[in-house]
Amino acid sequence: MAPKSCALCQNSKAILRRPKTGQHICKHCFFTVFETEVHNTIIQAHLFKPGDRVAIGASGGKDSTVLAYVMKTLNDRYQYGLNLFLLSVDEGITGYRDDSLETVKRNQEQYDMPLKIVSYEELYGWTMDRVVSAIGKKNNCTFCGVFRRQALDRGASGLGVDQIVTGHNADDIAETVLMNIMRGDIGRLGRCTAICTQGEDMIRRSKPFKYAYEKEIVMYAYFKKLDYFSTECIYSPDAYRGHARAFLKDLEAARPSAIIDIIHSGEAFELKEEVRATQKSQQTCKRCGYMSSNDLCKACSLLESLERGMSTAITDKGRRKLEAQGLTPDNMRTIPYFHPSSSVDAEAES
Amino acid sequence: MMAEFCGNPAVEAGEVLMPRKRKFDRSRICVKCKINPGNLVIRHSVYCKGCFTPLIFTKFHQALEPYINHVSVGPRRGALKPSGALLIGFSGGLGSSVLLDLVYQRYCANVGSDNLKGGREHPRKNKVWQKIYVCYVEVSDIFPETSDRTAQIREAIARYDGFELIPVRIQDAFDRTWWERVSGGAAPDLAGLPFDLGGGDSEPVAALQTHIRALPTPTAILSTLSTLTRLLLLYTAYSVSASHIVLGTSLTSLSISLISSISQGGGFVVPQAIQEEWFPQFVQRTIGDTSWNGEVRLVRPLRDVGMKECTAWVWWHQLLVVGKQRIPVPKQTIGDLTKNFIIGLERDYPSTVSTIAKTVGKLAPRGDSRVRCVLCELPTQQFVQRWKSRTSIRSFTDDASSMDTATSSLPHYLCYSCHTTLTSKSARSTATLNLHSSNSAPALNLPMWAATRLALELGSEQSVGPGAPANEIWETKKLDDGGMKSLVGEFLLENE
Ligand SMILES: [Zn+2]
Ligand SMILES: [Zn+2]
Ligand SMILES: [Zn+2]
Ligand SMILES: [Zn+2]
Repeated sequence: MAPKSCALCQNSKAILRRPKTGQHICKHCFFTVFETEVHNTIIQAHLFKPGDRVAIGASGGKDSTVLAYVMKTLNDRYQYGLNLFLLSVDEGITGYRDDSLETVKRNQEQYDMPLKIVSYEELYGWTMDRVVSAIGKKNNCTFCGVFRRQALDRGASGLGVDQIVTGHNADDIAETVLMNIMRGDIGRLGRCTAICTQGEDMIRRSKPFKYAYEKEIVMYAYFKKLDYFSTECIYSPDAYRGHARAFLKDLEAARPSAIIDIIHSGEAFELKEEVRATQKSQQTCKRCGYMSSNDLCKACSLLESLERGMSTAITDKGRRKLEAQGLTPDNMRTIPYFHPSSSVDAEAES
Repeated sequence: MMAEFCGNPAVEAGEVLMPRKRKFDRSRICVKCKINPGNLVIRHSVYCKGCFTPLIFTKFHQALEPYINHVSVGPRRGALKPSGALLIGFSGGLGSSVLLDLVYQRYCANVGSDNLKGGREHPRKNKVWQKIYVCYVEVSDIFPETSDRTAQIREAIARYDGFELIPVRIQDAFDRTWWERVSGGAAPDLAGLPFDLGGGDSEPVAALQTHIRALPTPTAILSTLSTLTRLLLLYTAYSVSASHIVLGTSLTSLSISLISSISQGGGFVVPQAIQEEWFPQFVQRTIGDTSWNGEVRLVRPLRDVGMKECTAWVWWHQLLVVGKQRIPVPKQTIGDLTKNFIIGLERDYPSTVSTIAKTVGKLAPRGDSRVRCVLCELPTQQFVQRWKSRTSIRSFTDDASSMDTATSSLPHYLCYSCHTTLTSKSARSTATLNLHSSNSAPALNLPMWAATRLALELGSEQSVGPGAPANEIWETKKLDDGGMKSLVGEFLLENE
């Protein structure tokens, strides 16, 4: 077969098949469409305004490494006028974070962006290594997820940023849509395709890679020669989610548009009005001031159960019962009170 | 980012965890009568054979009877008075065999007999349905590998008194005489349309085969057949003045089809997939009019009955099941994958299928749902093409803002799913469809209802849409693996 010319520019020779569309295109056009689609996402959702301080959730993995690069590129090209920061979470997992934090530190120099690292140790008094040795490998993704979410918010608050961008990609979002339907998680289903989420006191978060395929992120990193760490979580992941991910990959193989089609589906429905009315409203955690739908936020509940030596989150009811019996652990570790957007310590470590 | 740390990117605060399977219920005694030993485990509960039959009956009529009267009169309903006849969509498969039996037992057996419990309102006291039709859609003319099963189906239905069979063939969707019969009007003149609707294939089998050959994936073939079947049933129901269609979709099949539909971009219409209100395009409806004008309500009375319970019903009531026709397409369609996935998941997490149906039951389409797709006649969103071109750039010349207003091109009239069905390729696809202009082959044949509506919408307007997409030829070269390259290698056409 004769070499084909690029389906987009019709000039250069096609050197790759685009995972999302199956089109045969040249490298230059691949960069163009990848970046333009992210730009379209940003513009369509009015994600930023000039002068915004934006923290990029950076882990040293592929998504955030590419995100940092693309954010810098687009900020320069389209003059968004953003002040960009890197924000990392150190979960405290031996042998995992050290390498990937090196990547983040290198990004800090390459892109000339200030970097802040928040650690579980410092915030919660528990590293993930200790969590796992206390509760075993079951359920620890829940702990990690809850802790990370709050750690990011607190780090961002420390940086005094207006919002956090994360590297969640189209595969992640499609998978979450499926998961929430299969598990009946109505509350989350209603908001999982939202490009931008913001609770009352929380810092606005958005996902510029919402429509970017994981395969294309990897391809972009490859052609741009961006190095990253791809480390699988060393603790056992949620089996149910694992099934969902494998299923999504099969769907993508059968028809590559499946991923974006699922996201489209997720955007096309909403909760019935009568169902929405029954959703719990958000309040603030009585102990740490973070947003919460119960007396205590998820992180405080988990932390308390860790301190009490339990392996799952303690419920409000369970805790009241224990407290009524006078069973509160001595010197129980709690999370420092959250003061959103306190610009006092807005100095980034750099 | 945070993502690959857990292989578990979207792990967020306190997700719902699915309950794992418990091996046995507390006791092996039937949960209902608490006397007999259990014969069947339904999710977490054990039932005896004697209690199973009324249980299924209850699920069946609770899912159907509140929807029989055209205007619901609240929970304390009076007599059941459907506006028209009942049409049972029958495939010969497990669910529809059980449905046929249940409809017969509840509405036909011993009608008028005095020794019925339940008093005046019992559905058998007074005949609820004046007429019950069974409609079967045969696909064998399209696939030479399959055989015609109409005779077997006729036999299966003849075992029940009082059902009238209406045999339909899948190619009827492309048949002018069928269309003139069910719609009660003349088929449109397609010559004036700005794109080729394949008027050349006036023979219905050939027309449908041309349509199928032009589809880019096996997934598209199956979803096209199911759309055609659905509309053949709906128009048939309309033509015999049926106000209701019942389908034997079990809870298990319902959940599978919901996930499959979501995976094909059908999020806007999944809320209606459980129950649908349909009326033909040529019926004029006025807002606030509560009288019946030929609308058809599609109900799935087995939507709370799992596949396992259907199997038990067939076994205990000794039904003969003809079996569903297997469509000869390559494996690995989205429908197949979803089925395997859900059934596998159900083994470990028994509440999966009911959770899926329940969740979707809490959803509604986002935004205006009055405009309907010409092909599937389900509600469609606006600006679908704009969304697609923004999130997946396929051309540098398309002007996204003009896409949704290019009323002379077919995509303007299609829903997201139908457009995806017609255009979304797999790595192996060779078919290329041109939905925009009339000057390039292959032409797209459309079913009669779609052609009719386009003819009405477009009149004699003559214009040609944007240019044809470039023809693509499949080409890959084997790459040396190692490092990052192995991750992207499958998408590289040759070494840099
Ligand atoms: Zn090019
Ligand atoms: Zn708290
Ligand atoms: Zn019993
Ligand atoms: Zn459609």
